[in-house]
Amino acid sequence: MSIAGLGPHGERGAPFEQLDISEADAERARLACFRLCVVLHTTTSDWAKQALKGIAATLDVYGASLDEVVDCGFQIDTQIRALGRLTDSAPDAIISIPVGGSAVADAHRRVSRAGVKLALLDNGPTGLLPGSDYVSVISADNFGLGTIGARLLSPYIPPAGRVGILSYQADFFATNEREIAFRKWMGSERPDIRLSAIKFPDLGSLAAIFTAFLDANPDLAGLFAVWDLPAMEAVKVLAARGQCLPVTTVDLGNQAALALAAGDFIKGIAAQRAYDQGVAVAKATITSLLGRDPPSWIVLPGLATQKANVAEAYQRIWHEAPPAALCVPKAV
Amino acid sequence: MSSKPKVIRQMPKTPEGREAPSTHAGQGRRGDSERYSLVAVMELIRSGRADTRLEIERLSGLGRAVVTDRLTALIDLGLVEEGELGPAIGGRAPRRVKFRADAGRILVATLDSTTIGVGLADLAGRLRVEHYEAIDAAQGPAASLKRLDTLFDWMLDQYPEARDVWAIGLGTPVSLFNLDASGLNLDALDSAIATDKAPLTENLVARYRAPVWVRSLVQLMTIGEFGVRNEAGMSNRDFLYVDLGDEITAGLMSDGRLHRGAHGIAGQIGHIATDSSREVCRCGNIGCLELVAGAGAIVGEALQAAQDGRSRYLAEVLAANGQLALADIGFSARLGDPYCAELLSRCGQLIGKVLAGLANALNPAVIVLGGELARTGDILLAAIRETIYRHTAPVVTRDLQIIRSQMGRSAGLIGAGLLTVDALFASDRLGGWITTGTPLQHPDVQALLARVTQSRRMPPPPDPSPDR
Repeated sequence: MSIAGLGPHGERGAPFEQLDISEADAERARLACFRLCVVLHTTTSDWAKQALKGIAATLDVYGASLDEVVDCGFQIDTQIRALGRLTDSAPDAIISIPVGGSAVADAHRRVSRAGVKLALLDNGPTGLLPGSDYVSVISADNFGLGTIGARLLSPYIPPAGRVGILSYQADFFATNEREIAFRKWMGSERPDIRLSAIKFPDLGSLAAIFTAFLDANPDLAGLFAVWDLPAMEAVKVLAARGQCLPVTTVDLGNQAALALAAGDFIKGIAAQRAYDQGVAVAKATITSLLGRDPPSWIVLPGLATQKANVAEAYQRIWHEAPPAALCVPKAV
Repeated sequence: MSSKPKVIRQMPKTPEGREAPSTHAGQGRRGDSERYSLVAVMELIRSGRADTRLEIERLSGLGRAVVTDRLTALIDLGLVEEGELGPAIGGRAPRRVKFRADAGRILVATLDSTTIGVGLADLAGRLRVEHYEAIDAAQGPAASLKRLDTLFDWMLDQYPEARDVWAIGLGTPVSLFNLDASGLNLDALDSAIATDKAPLTENLVARYRAPVWVRSLVQLMTIGEFGVRNEAGMSNRDFLYVDLGDEITAGLMSDGRLHRGAHGIAGQIGHIATDSSREVCRCGNIGCLELVAGAGAIVGEALQAAQDGRSRYLAEVLAANGQLALADIGFSARLGDPYCAELLSRCGQLIGKVLAGLANALNPAVIVLGGELARTGDILLAAIRETIYRHTAPVVTRDLQIIRSQMGRSAGLIGAGLLTVDALFASDRLGGWITTGTPLQHPDVQALLARVTQSRRMPPPPDPSPDR
């Protein structure tokens, strides 16, 4: 699978398979007993749970301890306070998902200035530089995810139909990349389709914003949401109105996977490999703590997931057997 | 797009938009004097040399009443704001004043043969957002320019503060330059740079109603690297930046000033001749450095090695992916593939030899190596360093630092922002707009916008007949 996007500083991505820790280095890491903390935008999403599992399992392999996991609840102030407090506790490294762009850049910069290694998941705030401010950004190929979302939605949209983009109104690298790629693919492959952005600042306000949009745009023919939680919020709104629209999104969370298998609303998912991202960020952090420079942008391509392959994709992404509801019997 | 300017003490205008000469000598003197003092106070605050009324009085030589009046005017115009209290020296603590970096925004972009980058910078030259994507060179420059418009439009829609665009800064490789349009000041902006008949700057001026500055990409990257190092306290006034990509280019800061060259295209070191090739370059010469050590040349050579079996690892990558990337060569070299290690080492020596010549001639304190090739790993960098040290006079390399850039392509966008802001706030230009609070009201910008609008109304010239 090729990588479609470029990194936060325009760099070409390094495949995560290139992250390799030799047995000698692994032994050095185990002797060092590194201490790490994790700061996440949320710990409640399926993506976050999977990423955390990958981080914890990998740190265990290298004898490192996971001292604390912070849930920022998508709040910038909470993240800034958490980073300050954790830095004061002097761990060897912090793994963080910056919940914003320039608003949280200084707080992250202070971590590395204090001598604590910083590895970033999914988002590289503008203004931070690899090497001096952070070790690596480890993310999905978000540009590729947006392209998959567009490609999977296109067959369901009639000529000249209107498609809504549930767009996260925040300065966030990953969701920006997905939206830009979705628009680019539609612009080049389906220029007949009219695109309308539906911007939401947080999940709590999404239902009201989306309802108002539906009232004002009765001709809406499909929807792309930049990740699964807003997609499922939108599906709830549509179901309550008795309105059936094709939806594609990013992240194979449990609810989204079940909805994809059911086939009513969700028609395709550009799945991130959250567990593998957790493994990769943990490996990159250990590599850096051992005095080696990992690539500045480490990327995991997404998986195009539809009803027909949702069970296989689930198993590959979640590293566990899929729920029975996903196992659609194959036609004989 | 821009907020309505708050006009104070507006100078009289001619029908063409230029300020009319005063018919009253005394009044004219007062107007000029007020403008000069506004510019002086603004420059002291923006440069950070003064941030209290007392310091402004001391450094400008202006009286207390004048400074108070000018500060009030600058605050009313939205260019300056009051901050916290400073330390008291015997009396009341002074109120600090500071430049409002968010008074306007700069759209910035870089465009080369493989990648487009766009960003939004504040008036301190700091990026608020940036985005990069690969472009398909086969689709031609018109497609890239259309993509640039699309991305700028998206940014303006996504970031409401971006609507107050004061100017656009753009970096392109010199290979995309039309030398006839190398005059890049405001007066020359309407003589738009042509790229495949697409009047690049004119399109941008018409679409975003703001002036455009275009520079050589490597020069902008040099400004960006220099600016960020300066802000981080790593100031080296004699500084060489080298961009190692398909093209190999360099930018020089000499005593803190960018060396542009007679036509603004200094730094084409990829066209320095080596004795390693007899191939004819696109510049018409033979044996140019980038033909043997540029990223494209390296990938081409690696592809041959993969196909004829000289590198087993590359053959496997080619079989799996159907193509080879520069990163594959760097990765295989790190894994111990002897062919890739030798290839990168050989190219590093060729580049190092050219840089040694530059180091002898220019005596930089720092050489920063950027570009995709610099990210392939330590083998190439070690070869460059070793060759520079071997071929330079010891006194030149005594304190020379050779480091890898950490900024990637961000250097170009940051440089575009810094260059454009400095151009807007250059003393001679600042005097033309400061009384209105926005450079969009500068008579030259107004005239530029009027000319572009006028030219858009005119029908395009007919295509010349092939048999004419």
